[in-house]
Amino acid sequence: MPAVQRRSRQDAGGTKEQTRCGRLRFTGMFWRIYRRLLWASRGRLALAILAVASGATVCAALVNLELDSSDKLTREFRTLGANVIVAPATMAGESATMEQQVMDQIGDGIGVSEAAEIVAASPYLYLAAQAGEPAHAVPVIVAGAWLDQVARINSWWQVQGQPVTDRDDAEHCMAGRAAASSLHLAPGDRVNLRHAGREYSCTVAGVVTAGGSEDSQIFVSLAAAQHLAGREGRISLVQLSVRGDTPEVESVVRHLGGALPGLEVRPVRQLAAAEGRLLERIRGLLVATVVLILALSALGVLAAMAGLALERRSDVGLMKALGGSVRSIMRLFLAEAATVGVLGGVIGSGAGLLVAQWIGRSVFAAAVTPRLEVAPLTVAVMVMVSLAGALPLRLLGRVRPAEILRNE
Amino acid sequence: MTALVQVENVGRKYGSVRALDKVSFEVEPGEWIAIMGPSGSGKTSLINILGGLDRPSSGRAVVDGMDVGSLGERELTRYRAEKIGFIFQQFHLVPYLSAVENVMLAQYFHSVADEAEAARALERVGLGHRLTHLPSQLSGGEQQRVALARALINHPKLILADEPTGNLDETNEQIVLELLHELRAAGHTLLLVTHSQEIGRMADRRIELAHGHLAQIVANVT
Amino acid sequence: MFLRIVKDSFARQPRRKLLAAAALALGTAVATATLSITLDSGDRMAREFRSLGANLLVRPQADTLPLEIGGVDYRPVESGAYLPVADLGRLKTIFWRNNIIGFAPFLEAPVALRREESASAAGVELPRALLIGTWYRHEVTVPEGGGVFVTGVASTHPWWRVAGRWFDDAAQECVVGAALAQRTGISAGQVLELDAGGRSMRLTVTGILTTGGQEDEAVLAPLDLAQKLSNRSGQYRRLFVSALTKPEDVFSRRERASMTAAEYDLWYCSPYISSISHQIGERLSGVDVRPIRQIAEAEGQILTRVGGLMWLVTLAALLAAAIAVAATAGTTVLERACEIGLMKALGARRAMVGAFFLGEQWLLALVGGAAGYGAGLVLAHFAGQHIFGISPEIRLILLPVVLGVAALVTMLGSLLALRRITRLDPAPVLRGE
Repeated sequence: MPAVQRRSRQDAGGTKEQTRCGRLRFTGMFWRIYRRLLWASRGRLALAILAVASGATVCAALVNLELDSSDKLTREFRTLGANVIVAPATMAGESATMEQQVMDQIGDGIGVSEAAEIVAASPYLYLAAQAGEPAHAVPVIVAGAWLDQVARINSWWQVQGQPVTDRDDAEHCMAGRAAASSLHLAPGDRVNLRHAGREYSCTVAGVVTAGGSEDSQIFVSLAAAQHLAGREGRISLVQLSVRGDTPEVESVVRHLGGALPGLEVRPVRQLAAAEGRLLERIRGLLVATVVLILALSALGVLAAMAGLALERRSDVGLMKALGGSVRSIMRLFLAEAATVGVLGGVIGSGAGLLVAQWIGRSVFAAAVTPRLEVAPLTVAVMVMVSLAGALPLRLLGRVRPAEILRNE
Repeated sequence: MTALVQVENVGRKYGSVRALDKVSFEVEPGEWIAIMGPSGSGKTSLINILGGLDRPSSGRAVVDGMDVGSLGERELTRYRAEKIGFIFQQFHLVPYLSAVENVMLAQYFHSVADEAEAARALERVGLGHRLTHLPSQLSGGEQQRVALARALINHPKLILADEPTGNLDETNEQIVLELLHELRAAGHTLLLVTHSQEIGRMADRRIELAHGHLAQIVANVT
Repeated sequence: MFLRIVKDSFARQPRRKLLAAAALALGTAVATATLSITLDSGDRMAREFRSLGANLLVRPQADTLPLEIGGVDYRPVESGAYLPVADLGRLKTIFWRNNIIGFAPFLEAPVALRREESASAAGVELPRALLIGTWYRHEVTVPEGGGVFVTGVASTHPWWRVAGRWFDDAAQECVVGAALAQRTGISAGQVLELDAGGRSMRLTVTGILTTGGQEDEAVLAPLDLAQKLSNRSGQYRRLFVSALTKPEDVFSRRERASMTAAEYDLWYCSPYISSISHQIGERLSGVDVRPIRQIAEAEGQILTRVGGLMWLVTLAALLAAAIAVAATAGTTVLERACEIGLMKALGARRAMVGAFFLGEQWLLALVGGAAGYGAGLVLAHFAGQHIFGISPEIRLILLPVVLGVAALVTMLGSLLALRRITRLDPAPVLRGE
């Protein structure tokens, strides 16, 4: 055994201060110990990562849904039916009309902001006509409209037979259930309509069950109704279906109202507000649940770390006996906890983004765009959760080496 | 020559249990001291105090000019890293670090890890061919040898060994004792706790404790 | 003896058990809370949906074709069939009477309008308009000792807004639709004279009505007054009903003729919109009851979506809880390694050792889980109040379910760790390694 010698490493140690600074660097040895630590405890760390990942998945999925649209969630609560009506300001019963040109203006998106979106729009012309044989004439409301759009606006309609899909189809019409029943009409039958000396016939393509006023109306192409009423180029009102919630609908009403002076633009309030309201309420629950799930993740990490801490007590005692400072030992453990947070966070973010897509498709029948900014946010949160859960490891810092290394 | 270790009336109480009571002695540099006594006599408490793992309740313990009892937490950490080399009965190697990494660990906490130097230290104890083995792959004797290399790597002033051969079979015991002899011959100061009379006789002096008191100090005549 | 050891062991060292207890309590609390709310959400949302308004429409069975645009009937008073108002109390005597939230009868009549000016006696003549007679908050006597039920468009058309105030059902008052008011310069406080078929009456305008629909073109007044003006006393044309319903499912859509007696009873005793419609038809004679499909569809859609989302969240919560509990169980077992080693050294067989610890873990799961269940109910109460304004039903069935799952998860978590430890040689463990 050679005599005690001064070694180059001891020279490199230098003064007390320099030695201290030397230890603060993340040297190669630090990463080496770190790697061994991770591998040695891979079972428990896997459990901790699982706990973190599950929390991260929920977090990421909900943040994604929230970002992609508090719009998407409420947007997809699209109102059933028309939510905006455009009508002439001086309407009295069914006699006042406006220019059909209005449709071009609306179609061009005049006055509609980018945020809102008009899903479907149809002009309507109403008139009261006599239907059936002159001997057994029945008064009926005839509604002329763009029948292709009407089907889109009223998605809940059930059609027995065939719907009319071409707005210029002058041969076919659709009859409401009650009207068809009164007039004894079935799909394929012809119906004769008369108004002020003018006549119009069409074949009933389908019978509509709408569950509302439409059940007693007969739907024909707009041109046919205009001709029958002797009001070419005129319409009674426009029904619009706007995608969105109350803010979007009100925005469309404002913009259209401004762009179409002399006309009345009003929202159909009934359904618009109620649906969004419900989700607002649920949102509170969702947030609370996510917070609780994060707490559970932290608990899971805590449990795994507690197990780790237990296994490492003697190691920590030894390291302290070797002159390891609490700081340097803790740095290792915190790096380990942070790694759990990062890995769990990354896995969870990926899974969360996928889950958000899936929720969008299956629950809301809408495409959710993955928002990549969710990932760093989730990872950051999960690292904090992990560091919080690493409390047992931090408590190890207080371990007294003498107690651990006791012999008897 | 100023003594390396000066123990003055050191006492240690754990609650109402008195583990050490008014123990005083000195150790010169280069001496091999055996600390002996039946179990419960306070041997381990004494070693722990000298090694900076514990503080005396009363009295002073001065090692290399430093009053161990009065050091702050940080200073104590540095003291352990720089001045002391520990050898335990249960070896206490980190199970997931290889032999050379276990030695490098001590370097790391001291200042900077140096793999080449650690490898050389292991070669010197005859384990040059087992550098990358994990403790579970080493025999008891080999593990203790790694612990020995670890204890020496930072050139400590004082080597403290608590029943270093207690867990070893005869063959390995001999090997380790050989190494301890070599250390002594090289001029290291060695404090060894043992309850074996045979090992006690290998030392320069025997400090015998009984019920926490210093019973006697016996010099071994060679 | 076994139980005694388990109980003694359980009571010792409470601090060590803290983590396990915390995970179990929080896990079961979250599970209980989310399950309670989700299980109830369907019913609670049904109540929410009533803010969408009436979901059923009752008309005379033998009726002529309505001349309806946007919900307003333009038929002359003489044509078509009518129904007696006196029967309406019976709506609150059907099997699902408590699900009938409200109803409002409607009677329309075209009238001539004249606005009274304070100065001139003749007043200003206005274009003809439609008078809609209905109830705002009308007291209906319920037969068979059911007391008095207050109902009207306040319940069936909650989105209608009045600037000013609604008419009093017993007074000579009316509200005027906003479009009509704007066109003719009518405002609240003025007096209108209504003429129809030689009869006339004077009504004070108490407010301006905005509905967003055809009613904005009309005048609304108490049903009695419209009946007098149109010489249809005691009658109404259509009835809107707002009922708490359960959405239609595969079962309810089946042909009733194909149901067995037991199935029919099940259908009858479930508040499907079809069974409520059927029951209304049983009590009111000569009526045709149909769901307002737009509303029913909207409800169904929302229910599916929100319900789906809530189940997903519940499942996520359950999963997170399970992981936390399993992790804790694994760790707790490790802490007891020393004792396990001791027991083995004393000669206990592996299975016995396992049994002791499982027994203790289960006891912990029981205590922690029960505490969590209680906490979960409290959580659910507050959440339910906040979201739906009503706390969820306390389902005792959840307790055994949640405890069972907690015990199962605890067992799974412990088992793995137990296996490792019971295989260990006791000696190193006892030495303190």
